[in-house]
Amino acid sequence: MIRTEELLLNVGPQHPSTHGVFRIIVKLDGEVITEAIPVMGYLHRGTEKLAENLTFTQIIPYTDRMDYVSAMTNNYCLVHAVEKLMGLEIPERAEFLRLIVMELQRVASHLVWWGTYLLDIGAMSPFLYAFRDREIIINLFNELCGARLTYNYMRVGGVKWDAPEGWIDKVRRFIPYMKEKLEEYQNLVGGNEIFLARVKGVGSYDAKTAIAYGLSGANLRCTGVKRDLRKDEPYGIYDRFEFDVPVGTNGDCYDRYLLRIEEIRQSLRILEQAVEQFPEEGEIMGKVSRVLRPPVGEVYTAIESPRGEIGCYIVSNGKDKPYRLKFRRPSFVNLQILPKLLVGETMTNLITILGGIDIVVGEVDC
Amino acid sequence: MKGIIKGLGVTFKSMTKKNVTYAYPDVPIEMPDRFRGIQYFEPDKCIVCNQCVRICPTECITLTGKPNPDPEKKGKVIDTYDINFEICILCDLCTEVCPTEAIVMTNNFELSTYSRDDLFKNKEWLYANNTKIRKENNAATPKGGAK
Amino acid sequence: MGDLLKESLTWGHFLIFVLAAVVMLLIVLGFVTYTILFERKVLGWMQLRPGPNRVGPWGMLQTVADVLKLLIKEDTIPQKADRPLFILAPVLVFVPSFAVIATLPFSKSLYNADLNVGLLYYAALSSISTIGVVLGGWASNNKYALLGGMRSAAQMISYEIPLVISVVGVIMMSGSLNLRTIVDGQLGGIWHWNFLPQIIGFVVFVIAAVSELNRTPFDLAEAESELVAGYFVEYSGFRWAFFMLAEYVYMFAMSTLITVLFLGGWDAPLPFLNFIPGLVWFALKFLLVVFFLIWLRGTMPRIRIDQLMGLGWKVLLPLALVNILVTAAYLGIING
Repeated sequence: MIRTEELLLNVGPQHPSTHGVFRIIVKLDGEVITEAIPVMGYLHRGTEKLAENLTFTQIIPYTDRMDYVSAMTNNYCLVHAVEKLMGLEIPERAEFLRLIVMELQRVASHLVWWGTYLLDIGAMSPFLYAFRDREIIINLFNELCGARLTYNYMRVGGVKWDAPEGWIDKVRRFIPYMKEKLEEYQNLVGGNEIFLARVKGVGSYDAKTAIAYGLSGANLRCTGVKRDLRKDEPYGIYDRFEFDVPVGTNGDCYDRYLLRIEEIRQSLRILEQAVEQFPEEGEIMGKVSRVLRPPVGEVYTAIESPRGEIGCYIVSNGKDKPYRLKFRRPSFVNLQILPKLLVGETMTNLITILGGIDIVVGEVDC
Repeated sequence: MKGIIKGLGVTFKSMTKKNVTYAYPDVPIEMPDRFRGIQYFEPDKCIVCNQCVRICPTECITLTGKPNPDPEKKGKVIDTYDINFEICILCDLCTEVCPTEAIVMTNNFELSTYSRDDLFKNKEWLYANNTKIRKENNAATPKGGAK
Repeated sequence: MGDLLKESLTWGHFLIFVLAAVVMLLIVLGFVTYTILFERKVLGWMQLRPGPNRVGPWGMLQTVADVLKLLIKEDTIPQKADRPLFILAPVLVFVPSFAVIATLPFSKSLYNADLNVGLLYYAALSSISTIGVVLGGWASNNKYALLGGMRSAAQMISYEIPLVISVVGVIMMSGSLNLRTIVDGQLGGIWHWNFLPQIIGFVVFVIAAVSELNRTPFDLAEAESELVAGYFVEYSGFRWAFFMLAEYVYMFAMSTLITVLFLGGWDAPLPFLNFIPGLVWFALKFLLVVFFLIWLRGTMPRIRIDQLMGLGWKVLLPLALVNILVTAAYLGIING
């Protein structure tokens, strides 16, 4: 008598495509997945608990290491929350520096996503092209604040370093270079029939499911919901710049791919305007006391990171250390939809879908 | 078919372009001035205020002071100063709060060794690490004032 | 060589044959060594980096160093693996790849065996490797390996058919399965080579060949980013070297076959260039085919298994059959 058995397969924690130490237990029937259970926590470092013993300035290096691919937005998330709690005014030049740095970070993070996504799908060369271009951005950051990945750049009340001589010019020259490279990427893989066959129609969901699961970022916008925190609840000086929010229609992996490439273009557009309007001189640090003592209370603020909505919730009891600090991490929430999306898919599509959600395990585990 | 041919064209053209890699161990990498590398410590400038110990997010600095050997001067002089590079994250906060710039960062970053004991650096080693010291240490922060 | 084969077998002749086989093996191994280096270098240039350049001048000794490393590694066999099958699988994959070289002609006078059914011999032997792949996947006692082995079996079986059928047009045009006769039918310059009249067959053959070689875009049996090396995930050291060796020797054999069947073998593209020996032309065309395979690897993403099966059965097979029909009609009209 022939019988078939269900195969239990462990994808990870050591696996080239799970973007970090992350494990999925899949039950397979041939090549079709019947159930998928994500297991996480392999990279948990206890940031939120450690933060209860650290002053706010000391927490900033820890936020760098949560979503290590886009550290500037993490820094800003924490600093923005504290500033809102304390009701601080930020000088104009500091706001501009913050915006330029965050948009450059968005381009860099999407480049990493693009390179690794295509590597998962099987093409080896785009990875190196993406990293060649990201190297330029990283070198810009290196000149600005002294580190390539963990910047420790924002402070409560402003930023730490001013732009050195010629830095704004370098940013200005980077923008047309990157636009030309986007054309090259489109030629390399954007029209490739094999790639299109791999991502079209894979892993689609509708707007109702997306909102029910609390998705954000490109994962939400690919279903047609136009929500971008930079436009809906503007923070910093984002309301002074013109940019579009791209929205998809089908909710599949191809839409997410197109959306993120378009988001790079829109970031370049914001950068162009910001570099034009950059103030000639100004303070980069506001009037802040030496020891930061926020008033008693709680605050939740959220900003738009390349992965979605990253939020910081602080409960303060008047001391210089927070009573409780919680980060709403976008990768953690976006991952919730994975078990639902994977039922009925093949193993190959698992990799495509997981790559399309764009998670960073440092952020999933915090 | 057309997309595939365009992709093949892009890779073929890249064969003729210059390499973008660094020839690293043979050619040293030039880091910009603000790069946060291993620290350099000058014992003469230190006033044993303990600010660097208090601000360090990972508590990797330990120091002890002794009363000034010169009976006329007041204040303390530094006796031992250790940084545990197993947990130092090179975040630069110690440089930020030091009122006398006794501890500054250099552009050196090559610290790999074969054993963990070598990573516990003391005052003499930090004083001897005096190449490529950062020139611009704290452009933004006025000393002892707003942070 | 052909004359020696027609005489009776004496000990002296036998020794010459063994020597010729050993020389062939050494040449093929040398080819494999430098192809691996060539592939890594070319991929590096396409990705804006130098490729291996530290071991030996220009990286020439890189493969030697790699093979040395593989030879001195510990020979691990998983505890619950099926030992005889585990050990047999690499041998089953490698031996046919070397055995098919016996029928391939390299120039007018350089050939090993002048089989009248050379093409059929090639197709038959290369199917034995499929069994080796499935055995390797099963005997490893590893679910990833099993998945890879199953996928690979499906892929290799379903692409054997368009591979062989697309060549039927060439056989009809030259009237024989003997590889030397097929090349003789293409002499006279680039307009006589088979890839022009048989363009559909050529395209189908190249696609099926890339699939038979398990190279990107059809490398789902060893998809590095999904199945973590598929059917040879449990093999290490010298056994893994056998699998890799088999893949590259197949590349040698398949490139030779493409050159012989479609690109005119040792024929010069323009008749007045015939003073350059045929072996040189053969080598140039062969290198061109190898470069094309490497170029594909550097650019293409991987295709999915169900799309692969769809491509093989629904697109390539009908195209090959259409090719036969058109060739038959053409030959029928030409010959009365």
